[in-house]
Amino acid sequence: MNNRLLKPAHADDLITMMAAEKFVLPVGNRTKAPLSASADAALISLGAFRGIIEYEPSEFTFTARAGTPIADIQTALAEKGQYLPFDPMLVEAGATIGGTAAAGLSGPGRFRYGGIRDFLLGARFVSGDGQTICAGGKVVKNAAGFDLPKFLVGSMGRMGVLLELTFKVFPKPSALRTLRVQCDSHTQALARMAKAACSRWELDAIDYRPGERSMVLRLAGPARAIESIDHEIGTTWGEDVAELPLADTFWQSVNELNWSAPGAAAVKVPTTPPQCIALHQGLAGEEAIAMHGSVAGNVAWLLVASTDGLAAVDRQLQVMNIPGLVVRGTYDTPYLGVWQSPKIQQAVQAAMDPPAKFLSLYRHPRPPAQVN
Amino acid sequence: MSSVDGLASIYPPARFLRDAAFQAAFESDGLTAFRAKPLAVVIPESSEDVIATVRWCHDHGVPFVARGSGTSLSGGSLPVADGIVIALNRLNQILELRAAERIAVVQPGVVNQHVSDAAAPHGLVYAPDPSSQSVCTIGGNVAFNSGGAHCLKYGMTSNHVLGCKSVLATGEVVTLGGPSAESVGPDFTGLFCGSEGLFGIALEITLRLLPKPEMFHTVLVGYQSLQAAGDAVSAVIDAGLLPGALEIMDALAIEAAEAAVACDYPEGAAAVLIVELEGPREKIDVEREQLEEVLKKTNPFAQRVARDEADRLFIWKGRKSAFSAVGRLSPDFLVQDGVVPRNRLGEALVRIEQLSQEADLRVANVFHAGDGNLHPLIMFDGKQAGALERAEALAARLLRLCIEMGGSITGEHGVGMEKRQFLPEMFDAPTIALMDRMRQAFDPKRVSNPGKMFPGKEADVLSSSGLHPLEKAGVISRE
Ligand SMILES: Cc1cc2nc3c(=O)[nH]c(=O)nc-3n(C[C@H](O)[C@H](O)[C@H](O)COP(=O)(O)OP(=O)(O)OC[C@H]3O[C@@H](n4cnc5c(N)ncnc54)[C@H](O)[C@@H]3O)c2cc1C
Repeated sequence: MNNRLLKPAHADDLITMMAAEKFVLPVGNRTKAPLSASADAALISLGAFRGIIEYEPSEFTFTARAGTPIADIQTALAEKGQYLPFDPMLVEAGATIGGTAAAGLSGPGRFRYGGIRDFLLGARFVSGDGQTICAGGKVVKNAAGFDLPKFLVGSMGRMGVLLELTFKVFPKPSALRTLRVQCDSHTQALARMAKAACSRWELDAIDYRPGERSMVLRLAGPARAIESIDHEIGTTWGEDVAELPLADTFWQSVNELNWSAPGAAAVKVPTTPPQCIALHQGLAGEEAIAMHGSVAGNVAWLLVASTDGLAAVDRQLQVMNIPGLVVRGTYDTPYLGVWQSPKIQQAVQAAMDPPAKFLSLYRHPRPPAQVN
Repeated sequence: MSSVDGLASIYPPARFLRDAAFQAAFESDGLTAFRAKPLAVVIPESSEDVIATVRWCHDHGVPFVARGSGTSLSGGSLPVADGIVIALNRLNQILELRAAERIAVVQPGVVNQHVSDAAAPHGLVYAPDPSSQSVCTIGGNVAFNSGGAHCLKYGMTSNHVLGCKSVLATGEVVTLGGPSAESVGPDFTGLFCGSEGLFGIALEITLRLLPKPEMFHTVLVGYQSLQAAGDAVSAVIDAGLLPGALEIMDALAIEAAEAAVACDYPEGAAAVLIVELEGPREKIDVEREQLEEVLKKTNPFAQRVARDEADRLFIWKGRKSAFSAVGRLSPDFLVQDGVVPRNRLGEALVRIEQLSQEADLRVANVFHAGDGNLHPLIMFDGKQAGALERAEALAARLLRLCIEMGGSITGEHGVGMEKRQFLPEMFDAPTIALMDRMRQAFDPKRVSNPGKMFPGKEADVLSSSGLHPLEKAGVISRE
């Protein structure tokens, strides 16, 4: 196994190192281990590519190097009363901004304004042939040229090595409040989620714990305003509504993917709200699996405490004909369920990476994806 | 030509048009500066028709251009001479509207406004609102990643497209993205949005819907200088507010709007600012106080809050009519849509003023101030010898100014035919080369809308200038 970790100090270094390798895989802080592991690629660490390059609060934009820990960015933004509305995940675990974009992960708060794809404005990256590409822009609105930055979201280091990213940010809401709404069936929960999602309330997050049949709503805005909306939600669903104690801890456990079985494998499954419920029901017999539905049923997060459990998830996703991505834990492949692989995908990969330096998408070399 | 017979056999005669009158009707788009005569215009009524047409074009190496309503302002839907125009207006069905999931699946010829109309009974709205929304199509919006007046808060078209089934230029049919707001793998949907028709034709588009804001709070503010209006925008942003819209018009644009629609803007204003807050009423109650505090400190000389919905629309009327109104002040004009960083707006406007004087051409400014998206309208009289050339030279200087300031050559109108020679000024050679390889991956034969976005001589055209025919008829106006 060739798991050498190369540590370029700057872009030229990185390009030289890339040229000398047969296969490369860029990695950040490896908080999404299954995506940063390969039997035959040299790992290129972006650890030295760290720091915010530009931050213009009145522009609502910043540019940071790919290896910058998100925690650093959050601190800088908070000082100016701003935040990342896509609600980054695994921040405590040490996620970097580049790794988060490449993995395409957004948290529950993406419900309100959109995911990481919606906030990425521009990117500097190295293509497979060692060219430095500067795509997108540094302004909040731009329609020139193909949207390569967006395409890199979710590309998992298989399309280019991100060096710098420019994001749009928003003013941070001054107050938050979290409510739990107890439901007596999934059907009722689906109806309530839909009502909440289409309401005038402008909720920040709508999540669902199917195991407990409880819907969790986060309100964000001026304190006076959320007070009144809270009251209206209380009137709407009566005794089923209660303020969630220790809300910060709750949301943190969702974003860090450790609300159950710490250290368990974690799987992301994009869903429609009915699919979210169907997935839960399809896995009902599995003891080792805990599910959290997020973004009003648009994503199911599964914490899976055993390899057998992952195999069960894989089977269930096959049945449902949808894909899932293992973002933490050990399994044969990070790609569960069914991934479409149209011809165009190979042509595009060849365009981004003429010498085929990167791993090919959705084909994962075995044995197991584990790096220490 | 026997080769066209093969294509003709896909369509009944009434939907395969080759006579001169029809070709003339399709020879131009919203950028009337360019014209080209297609070989034929086809009118598909199903996805299958479109797929068969694209496959035929690919097999025979005949270029094609998808066309929605032809309102592109950058020559995007301009036909390719001796190519096929695929007119998509009859693919106008909203296939599904799942209110509980907040999505709609639509055909490409669906008119933008019709999506919001269909969503309205469910309290939902399709957020992107180009001012051509009463006629432009979702297919055109997707191809151009179109914007509108609400982009700072809501983003552009691509932020509201979850998936799209398309026939690529090779004839391959792909389903990119899907009904979920989340996804795994590279964002092909995001890549397709804004590809200006160079990758293929969108057949079924899944859109994200949002709850309609409960309430609007619209304020019209008059300033004695453009600089003061620009500074006010920064003050609003710095206060932590996130308005749905922040729009500025300069004196010339106000004069034009006043003459056209008597919008009753503050007399003698060098600039007006429109700020619109939106959201739940409780939130607006708090934010309107904040906004009032902020605006007080920006030296306005006049200020007016919309009393009700009718009054709000009246305030917007001046803004929305600005473009066609300028069309009355001047026989011809060119409009640009470059972007500058918001806090350099003031500086950009001063430079535009200087350049306009140097060129001896009047420029009216109307812009989406919240996102730094300028819309300078360069006025000229096409009948004067050399006037068009001077106007184009000035437009080029303005685009370069945007690039120098770290902005973009286009915020929402796309590169198209009009700005293709500027793309390499905004992106360096390796980036252009990669974009070209991407295009090659989707369209190895270069049959899908050739001649657009990339500089070169892939398509020859004729030129002239003026208002879009629909604007002249008073059907639409631009922001
Ligand atoms: C008065 C006026 C006001 C305007 N205001 C705005 C504004 O506020 N904001 C803004 O962003 N734009 C604005 N525009 C520009 C224009 O309306 C938009 O670019 C719009 O998206 C074009 O839609 P359309 O249906 O007319 O497309 P067309 O002009 O017919 O086509 C535009 C491009 O899309 C391609 N295309 C069309 N359908 C498809 C498809 N199904 N698949 C792939 N490619 C396709 C075409 O080949 C072409 O390249 C305005 C235009 C006018 C005339």
